[in-house]
Amino acid sequence: MSTAMTGQAKPGQEAGRSRLAAFGSAFVSGGYTMYPVLALLVLVGAIVAPNFATGINLINILEQVSVLGLTTIGLTFVVLIGRLDLSLEGIVGFAPMLAAVCLVPATAGGFGFELPSWMGLVVALGTAGLIGYFNGFMVVRVGLNPFISTLGLLVLLRGGVLIVSNGRSIYSPGPALTYLGSAKLFGLPVSVLVFAFVAIAIGLVFKYHRYGRALYAIGGNEDAARAAGINVDRVIWSAFVYAGLLAGLAGVLMTGRLDSAVTTQGQGIIFSAFAAAVIGGVSLGGGRGTMVGLVSGVLLIGVINNLLTLAQVPSFYVQASTGAVIIVAAVLTTVASRRSSGVRTRT
Amino acid sequence: MDITRPIVEMRNISKTFGSTKALKGVDFTVMHGEVHALLGRNGAGKSTLVSTMSGLVASDTGTIRIAKTEVTANGQPYAAKIRDDIAHVQQTPQLFNLLTVAENLFLENAVVQKKFGIVSHKRMLDKASALLQKWNINIRAEALAGELSAGTRQLLEIMKALCRGVPVIILDEPTAALSNAEKRMLFEQVKALKALGISFIYISHHLDEVFEVADTVTILRDGLVVKEREKVSNLTVELIADLMMGEKTARSVRVDHTQAEAPPLLRAKGVGLYPVTDAGVDFHIQPGEIVALAGPVGGGKEALAMMLAGQLTPYKGKISGSNETLPTIGLVPTDRHASGYVGILGVRENVAIGGLELLSGRFGFIKLDKEAAHVGGLARQTNVIASSLEQAVSQLSGGNQQKVVFARALCQNPQVIVALSPTRGVDVGAKEQLYALLRDLASRGLGVVVVSDEEDEIAQLANRVVTVFEGKITGELRGDYTMKDLILRMEGVA
Repeated sequence: MSTAMTGQAKPGQEAGRSRLAAFGSAFVSGGYTMYPVLALLVLVGAIVAPNFATGINLINILEQVSVLGLTTIGLTFVVLIGRLDLSLEGIVGFAPMLAAVCLVPATAGGFGFELPSWMGLVVALGTAGLIGYFNGFMVVRVGLNPFISTLGLLVLLRGGVLIVSNGRSIYSPGPALTYLGSAKLFGLPVSVLVFAFVAIAIGLVFKYHRYGRALYAIGGNEDAARAAGINVDRVIWSAFVYAGLLAGLAGVLMTGRLDSAVTTQGQGIIFSAFAAAVIGGVSLGGGRGTMVGLVSGVLLIGVINNLLTLAQVPSFYVQASTGAVIIVAAVLTTVASRRSSGVRTRT
Repeated sequence: MDITRPIVEMRNISKTFGSTKALKGVDFTVMHGEVHALLGRNGAGKSTLVSTMSGLVASDTGTIRIAKTEVTANGQPYAAKIRDDIAHVQQTPQLFNLLTVAENLFLENAVVQKKFGIVSHKRMLDKASALLQKWNINIRAEALAGELSAGTRQLLEIMKALCRGVPVIILDEPTAALSNAEKRMLFEQVKALKALGISFIYISHHLDEVFEVADTVTILRDGLVVKEREKVSNLTVELIADLMMGEKTARSVRVDHTQAEAPPLLRAKGVGLYPVTDAGVDFHIQPGEIVALAGPVGGGKEALAMMLAGQLTPYKGKISGSNETLPTIGLVPTDRHASGYVGILGVRENVAIGGLELLSGRFGFIKLDKEAAHVGGLARQTNVIASSLEQAVSQLSGGNQQKVVFARALCQNPQVIVALSPTRGVDVGAKEQLYALLRDLASRGLGVVVVSDEEDEIAQLANRVVTVFEGKITGELRGDYTMKDLILRMEGVA
């Protein structure tokens, strides 16, 4: 029995090949598929654009992707359980805007509450969490399809941003609110450190925490997870809350970097987040995806955008080529994962 | 047409599913205007035989002639060729829930079509209303099929088959969901159509129905015909049971570890199995006891098991443990593909999700060494064969998948295990291993509840058999019951 379990009884001739195959499938399932592509891009970038491989530019890329990165991690919570949340984009814009109007005086476009600046963080994250809770309620209790319920909320929040801000951006909302997105520690932007910390912490949760195991189980087969005694409804509900909180944090970073809450803040980010997740090997069907892969997807999008800009490609072409790259990368990840595991997945 | 010639003639029909030979060269004939009952135990090949007749499942060998159409089977689909000669009413209604009653009844039926295949709604509704009236069913033709009760849906399925105007109709367990009044209605219609020369193939688990409605009986056992075209008047219940059971008396290897004096592990008091019911069910399970829940599909045995497992809230009544707290319960669900395993995850992860609380330490992080040891132990206990514990469960054989589901159910160290159809679609070797596992668990003092449709399985395992029918417990066998007791009980005669 034990030999059958470990597979050590295989003839030596096949061992080399199967070790390679095992390495290949571990490489893909671990989420490393895109790293060679990323390395290649960086190499090409260093050759074609002299400004690319400088420390300042690389840090700049990391700073730019930290907002997208946090949104993508949030999105991955709900995608792992086979759901989706379009309203994250709305949260990125709405949560920091609501915080900003609570902080600044009425003359600067605020409500006139003039709350202390640290309260801005509480308002932003609290709002984000509550919106996530509402999404969870709609999906778990009311039984709405998350596509339509979060789409509606996305549109609602876009309007909400304009309502609370009266259609005007809020400048310099307060030092505590903007600290995470603008300050530097040890020569690195705090936003990069926040992204790295969140990615590592949640990466560990996905892989080693019982909550992460429950996410994968529900995404793979919800009924089986239920039969195994997992409280499926509670996990789904909480995943929406975590997604909302992370989108709120992403919004705070963005507001900090710009030192203002802009009315168009976050628009279009949900598409990049989906692209980053899929490029990173997160299956939209649920149950599959790793933090390592997700981060590769986020970095890839950041590097491509940066490279195209540095190479002085006209901006119209930047957008179109990003789209093309997303499709190619998604094909690559899907094919790689199918070939390595032999299990068909819905991307 | 020569009515002395059989309307259905099947010669040398065989069918293999994977490693199971469901039919081993069966001959079967049906005459004009005959109600021909097909009997046999679960797994004898009845449903497979009628499915090859209608083309739902393509036969591997032999010839099939229905009315004037003849096909030579070679495993390729032939349903389209015989579509106009035969109708097949399956065990579970195949209706479109979002279409109306009328649309369901006349789907793809030429009588309601005008030029260019345009469907006349008026004609369809008129015909449907007339049909409903003839059957004395009090529903509107515009009602959605999804809104109807199980019995009405079953009748609708039968009506749909009857109004296609085919000469041969297969009824596979048509009465499972019907009330007594609905049954009467069905039998009347069958008799009326029989007088018009229509032939029926009738499968039922209720021998009393067979004696009432059938003219001829054919009995299958293990994919072979053991009694061909016997007049129903020449048969008795006893004789039929003997023929169905066969010579081999199942080795009764069941052992009784029941700790009768100990307090019950789990107790159900006045539990309602249906949303609207007056009946309440009392049930208990002792340590070391293996109890089988038997009875017709939809009769409530699955509901009772899911309520015992804590997956379904009883509509009334209460489920309790020996003291205030409920025991830990492991569940093996009825359909492992739908709700048993997570195909894209490996063996380790699949087993571990059954016991995440047990395997995680402070802050909820999984203790990896404990996980490896515990899951490895369970995989050995359940004899899972995989290339490694990381292999995706969807790549395993059916038997090994089921063992993974058992390992998962055991992961939280349960005191009670509830297993629904524990060996469905599992090869013989794995079956024996799973039986041995369940007996072993009982010997260690676990309570085991098994829901099964297979007499063999129950006879090999259960110290007590509880039959559940129409939301009530209708009988109990305990201790030294015989195979015959069991079969008669499950065929609804005793």
